Amino acid sequence: MRPTQEPFEFRATLTALDQGLDVLHHSVELLRQATGRPAGDRPLMLFETALGEIGANVLTHGHPEGAATPVEYRLHFDRGTLLASFVDPGPPVRDHLARAMPEPTSEDGRGLALARTLLDELGYERDGEVNRWRLVKRL
Amino acid sequence: MVAPTGRLDVVGAPALKDAISELVKHGLPRVVIDMEGVSFVDSTGLGSVISALKQIKGSQGELRLAAPNQQVRVVLELTTLDRVFPYYATVEEALTGF
Repeated sequence: MRPTQEPFEFRATLTALDQGLDVLHHSVELLRQATGRPAGDRPLMLFETALGEIGANVLTHGHPEGAATPVEYRLHFDRGTLLASFVDPGPPVRDHLARAMPEPTSEDGRGLALARTLLDELGYERDGEVNRWRLVKRL
Repeated sequence: MVAPTGRLDVVGAPALKDAISELVKHGLPRVVIDMEGVSFVDSTGLGSVISALKQIKGSQGELRLAAPNQQVRVVLELTTLDRVFPYYATVEEALTGF
């Protein structure tokens, strides 16, 4: 099946880490099916990897257990550009976006550096009481 | 041999760490992680593999990764962890001379 450029839209509110990650991966699968991309599509695989990193970060730090406000998630594809966004009610994120890839023997600290490498754009801004994340990949 | 399945991510990583700890505790310091059933890995999942490597090396052992899929290989390469973990295309290859 030849990939299409038809617009695609998915929205969800996320609360729990494991179920939230399920939703993120499921949304990419729906996009894959809707756009007719093959299972091994590399740009989409790179995007999904970055989405898993940022999503895990948001659901862990941006939505502490018991928080009343869910994380808002949106996945949008149009004219060859894939955009995912998160809005979370967690504390501000500081300095993490500039973090370099750690030494190979480090057990943590790779997530944001890896996501930055995989995406065309990784945006973050503090907006009042929420964090806004923006992940962009041109397919 | 340890054969995790599904996503080796922030949710699945603790189980791998526990499984490796059990093996090391029982004096089995040569371990192959069969990645064939792993559909997706994230940085936390990689962290669990690095933790495994440290535990096993601390017991004078050796760790090999077998049969990673394309996504796992790409993540290993982008994080330069392919220099730390030589990976093998199949379990059979990983077990050769082990």
